[in-house]
Amino acid sequence: MAAAGSVKVALQVVEVLETIVSRCVGPEGRQVLCTKPTGEVMLSRDGGRLLGALHIEHPIARIVLRCVSSHLKKTGDGAKTFIIFLCHLLRGLHAISEKEKNSLISDNFQTHERHWKNCCQWKCISQALLMFQTQILDCIMDQYLSRHFLSIFSSSAKERTLCRSSLELLLEAYFCGRVGRNNHRFISQLMCDYFFKCMTCTSETEVFELVDDCFIELNVGVTGLPVSDSRIIDGLLLHRDFSIYCPVDGDIRMVIVTEIIQPLFSTSGSEFILSSEAQFQTSQFWIMERTKAIMKHLHSQNVKLLLSSVKQPDLVIYYAGLSGISVVECLSSEEVSLIQRIIGISPFVLPEASSWYEISNTALVKFCKPFILRSKRYVHLGLISTCTFIPHCIVLCGPVQGLVEQHESALHGAFKMLRQLFKDLDLNYVIQASDQNDTSSPLIHKYSRESSQLPEISNHSIQRPYQDIVVKNGDELEKTQAYLKVYSNLVISSRGLETHIPCSTLKLTPTNTFQIDDTLKCLSPEKNRIIDDYELELLVDNNLTGNPTTENTRIEISYENLQVTKIDRTGSKLPVRYKSLDLCTSQSYHSSSVPAGSVLPVGGNFEILLHYYLLNYAKTCQPSEEAMVSTLIANALLGIPKILFKAKKVNYSFPQMYLRTLHALQTNQLMVSSQEGLESVIGKYQLLTSVLQCLTKILTIDLVINIKRQPQKIYDQDSEDEL
Amino acid sequence: MSRLEAKKPSLCKSEPLTSDTVRATLSVLKGVLTSCYGPSGRLKQLHNGLGGYVCTTSQSSALLSNLSVTHPALKILTTSVQNHVSCFSDCGLFTAILCCNLIENAQKTDLTPTTVIKLNKHLLSLCTNYLKSEACGCRIPVDFSSTQILLCLVRSILRSKPACMLIRKEVDHISALILRAFLLTIPENTEDHIILGKSIIVPLKGQKVTDSTVLPGILIEMSEVQLMRMLPIKKSSALKVALFCTSLSGDFSDTGEGTLVVSYRMSLENAALDQLLNLGRQLISDHVDLVLCQKVIHPSLKQFLSIHHVIAIDRVGVALMEPLSKVTGTQPIGSIGSISPSSYGIVKELCTAKFGSKHFFHLIPNEATICSLLLCNRNDTAWDELKLTCQTALHVLQLTIKEPWALLGGGCTETHLAAFIRYKARNEPESILTDDGCTQAELQLVAEAFCSALLSLAGSLEHDGGEIVTDIKYGHFWSIQGDCPSVVNWPDLLSRCGCGLYSSQEELSWSFLRSSCHPFAPQSCLPHETVGPDSNLTLDCLTAKLSGLQVAVETANLILDLSYVIEDKN
Repeated sequence: MAAAGSVKVALQVVEVLETIVSRCVGPEGRQVLCTKPTGEVMLSRDGGRLLGALHIEHPIARIVLRCVSSHLKKTGDGAKTFIIFLCHLLRGLHAISEKEKNSLISDNFQTHERHWKNCCQWKCISQALLMFQTQILDCIMDQYLSRHFLSIFSSSAKERTLCRSSLELLLEAYFCGRVGRNNHRFISQLMCDYFFKCMTCTSETEVFELVDDCFIELNVGVTGLPVSDSRIIDGLLLHRDFSIYCPVDGDIRMVIVTEIIQPLFSTSGSEFILSSEAQFQTSQFWIMERTKAIMKHLHSQNVKLLLSSVKQPDLVIYYAGLSGISVVECLSSEEVSLIQRIIGISPFVLPEASSWYEISNTALVKFCKPFILRSKRYVHLGLISTCTFIPHCIVLCGPVQGLVEQHESALHGAFKMLRQLFKDLDLNYVIQASDQNDTSSPLIHKYSRESSQLPEISNHSIQRPYQDIVVKNGDELEKTQAYLKVYSNLVISSRGLETHIPCSTLKLTPTNTFQIDDTLKCLSPEKNRIIDDYELELLVDNNLTGNPTTENTRIEISYENLQVTKIDRTGSKLPVRYKSLDLCTSQSYHSSSVPAGSVLPVGGNFEILLHYYLLNYAKTCQPSEEAMVSTLIANALLGIPKILFKAKKVNYSFPQMYLRTLHALQTNQLMVSSQEGLESVIGKYQLLTSVLQCLTKILTIDLVINIKRQPQKIYDQDSEDEL
Repeated sequence: MSRLEAKKPSLCKSEPLTSDTVRATLSVLKGVLTSCYGPSGRLKQLHNGLGGYVCTTSQSSALLSNLSVTHPALKILTTSVQNHVSCFSDCGLFTAILCCNLIENAQKTDLTPTTVIKLNKHLLSLCTNYLKSEACGCRIPVDFSSTQILLCLVRSILRSKPACMLIRKEVDHISALILRAFLLTIPENTEDHIILGKSIIVPLKGQKVTDSTVLPGILIEMSEVQLMRMLPIKKSSALKVALFCTSLSGDFSDTGEGTLVVSYRMSLENAALDQLLNLGRQLISDHVDLVLCQKVIHPSLKQFLSIHHVIAIDRVGVALMEPLSKVTGTQPIGSIGSISPSSYGIVKELCTAKFGSKHFFHLIPNEATICSLLLCNRNDTAWDELKLTCQTALHVLQLTIKEPWALLGGGCTETHLAAFIRYKARNEPESILTDDGCTQAELQLVAEAFCSALLSLAGSLEHDGGEIVTDIKYGHFWSIQGDCPSVVNWPDLLSRCGCGLYSSQEELSWSFLRSSCHPFAPQSCLPHETVGPDSNLTLDCLTAKLSGLQVAVETANLILDLSYVIEDKN
């Protein structure tokens, strides 16, 4: 059976998911209880878990879920927002297609043909979306949004230091959406404490990576106690009991073994021939003596603790006890690798019979003692770390297992989120810029001078330099070495007519920048016509101090809304020039990055900002697909703040807040956030790209074919597990 | 093999608590639990329709583990109570009923769950702070220099479990035994931190309850035949003990992953037996008097040992290994080769004992914190209940050592706490509403719901149609007999409050539990002198009850916070 895949169907499916998800979103969201067929009960507000528990059959929904799960795997955040945003995008697309249908009501296509035509159309749109995601989004992030970013680092000195209060704000906002309403503050405090206890001065990323990788080994869940009994414990708790415990004082050295210490009769692949009883007895005797000797040797090396990843025979335990060595057996490979990562020793290799050399693979342990939590015994190890991570464990308490698990996964997700946040995010984008970008420096120099004089001269003269450049470019296009790009957004308003000259960006070597910068600087106050060039100066300065020595450093100068207001002559010829520029556009590659630790105030700020800039951008575009896509995405973005502010009182309702923010943006004021808390920009950015990719995937499907056969091979077995 | 992926889609229900069936199930569950609560609680008989074991109980741990609850939200409730019980042993019904009450009362108010949850949390912290503070009027310090309060504590626990079927005399006997057993587990010479020993409960069913006794050391059950065979050995001085954790049956394990080729005519059994006999010779030359083995001892070795007047006891089991090694001071031996002399231990005396129809070896240590509580009761179900109760009591005593306070029982803590909350919410709402936009009116509503949950919990102690009143001085709990003639002036019928601290001799004014009265600040003057040697207070464990209160409120909040239930029906 085949079913047509269309936006309408996808919308219906995603809308169902949205209704479920939207109740759990944000600080006002509530819990969801999932039961498993095994009778287990799971509590969650985590979108990924929730969607996974639904076991949805619909093929499109499954595509969506797979996208969500792969997104979550990477970032650990944003499953619910993913669905909501996707739903709004689809809604927008559906509205557009409905409008078109109404306008084209007279067409006489067969329904089938129309379907194919629709599919073609969707394909185009999906390509436009992809284009947007790869090119425009990065550009907008970099050029407009980046000036609103705050950082969680307090950048006082050269080295960045993590600011505890902003980390708290960030975590609180994160846990708001993840754990029960009563516990988020407590859990975020716990996490903050944990982080600062584990961290040495300059090790954030490393700590995050380690904690993220080994989180299961670093926490212990206890049921039956109130949540407020959760705490942080110095050292490492192994989820095992001692096989034998010999209390010792003073120095404790430990070794890790991964094999059975007692020699065995035969190893795999070999054969042991027993020919007489005496031989059997001697070999057993030898085994005993050998085990005893190994233990004695360990004892002589001052080893007091033996960690084993396998079960050791009784004999080994007995002799270990006699030598005063405590033994912990059956450690999981994850636990062993965590310990190795912390103290940096490799497993102890059994020495050959004759050579009793000094054991090098030992490590010093501060303490090692049994630890009892709710009548279950654990091994408490005080490892002396050789890396930047200072080992600590979290004991998570809760009345039911489900709640403990929820807190555990929320904490894990938070570490994932922070791990992402502490990386720089590279933005690469291509700008369809006019050709003069790639001209050599003297030319640009001239150009910039001319263009800054532009407001003075008449219409004719505006046209001329440009053409001039175009001609020259024809010759020099291939030789260009210096990357000079001027990104300007000349808004020339004349009699209410607003025309946007497409962006052109300046990229140049530092020396040149200074020149241009100077010219612009000295020109602008004189003429008083370049209004908004402050950002240009800002960016140039920043970048220059950043990489003064690098050759060919790509430096971007962007100044937006270079409004030239004085021209009040006819603008009739402007479009002509516009086109001529468009004709000879070339691609210029930009790379930039969102700095690590960038955050924005919580509560839909990112969405509203992006919405605002996207709309502005769409206005600059021609009425093409690009503009359509930008508007579509801009409007869909508002869906998230709308839900967040649903339950708020009148003064904080969504329209109020939206208007306030827009007003603030237009007048270049600081935005006032009604809520405390921060959220990661990188997380949001990644979410946006994931959603767009998912949408393109949905749109490119035209037919869903249902196969009734048994699956031959399951490629993606873990799709449910990930969720 | 390929794996088939999902399955049936899950069932998703929104707002689970609003449906009538859930409410009905909740009230049924509450009814079951409430009727079990307290000394006069009714018993429940749990049996499987397909036959098998019948259990008569009124304890939450037995009840909830056998009850199969279908609705997920209620499953949360029961598992949370079970988890609490496994941590603290006590106050399970208290937690469960309070949680049910809180959920029901929250639904009666027309507030959003968000508000209720927020305020419940504030009220909870008000309660916990009060119960932990010095000013608390419903707790008394536990004095370890006399047994009085500890006995009261144990006795209250025993009395609140009617399914043990104990009469007053038996309660006194058992509570004395429990206390003695507990005291035996406390080491005499304490270092910086105390490590408590263990009391092993030994079952003896079909005997009189008053036959129960406590013995220091360990009892190992023996068949009569075994006992007869070993009887002649008697020694007055201390006995040398070897405790084996490895098998002494001559079996042959751990040969490695490769193959073992045994040539023809060679007998591994003989070789192994030779080794065992060598071991026996070593034991004898080391003058060992008693050989204990966790696993099986080879019959030949056993015989060899008994010829040389060594007592051999095998199949001790892993559960007894730790107490045994503690009692004898040995280290379990894992080798059948050479044995280090340091791994032998000592017991002071070994004797045989007969209790009822059972024969025991009795290992008497020199000085150890292990004791055996030989527990008798008439039938199986009553014994099971008694055993659970004893474990609870022992656990409560351990908890009390950590936190030497006891709460007033018999409903007095609940009524007192309710009075306190009401007073605070009315007169100092600002101290409770520290932050986020909840109004005072909302606080009043939620506080009223909270208090009535506590009060109706206290009220469920009364099962015989009696009336319950509180005094408006201390806020204690007083119950009036149900069958009294109405013409009598009812305050005359009151003699003592629920916990037994106050008598009605004082000039007190009364208020019915169900009627609302003007909020008053409950007084907390505690007449310490009344805790005399003959006073009979009803007390509860502070740690357990405090945690029960927290767990109940947290669970109720959790359940109220549910917006969806997704059921995986595979």
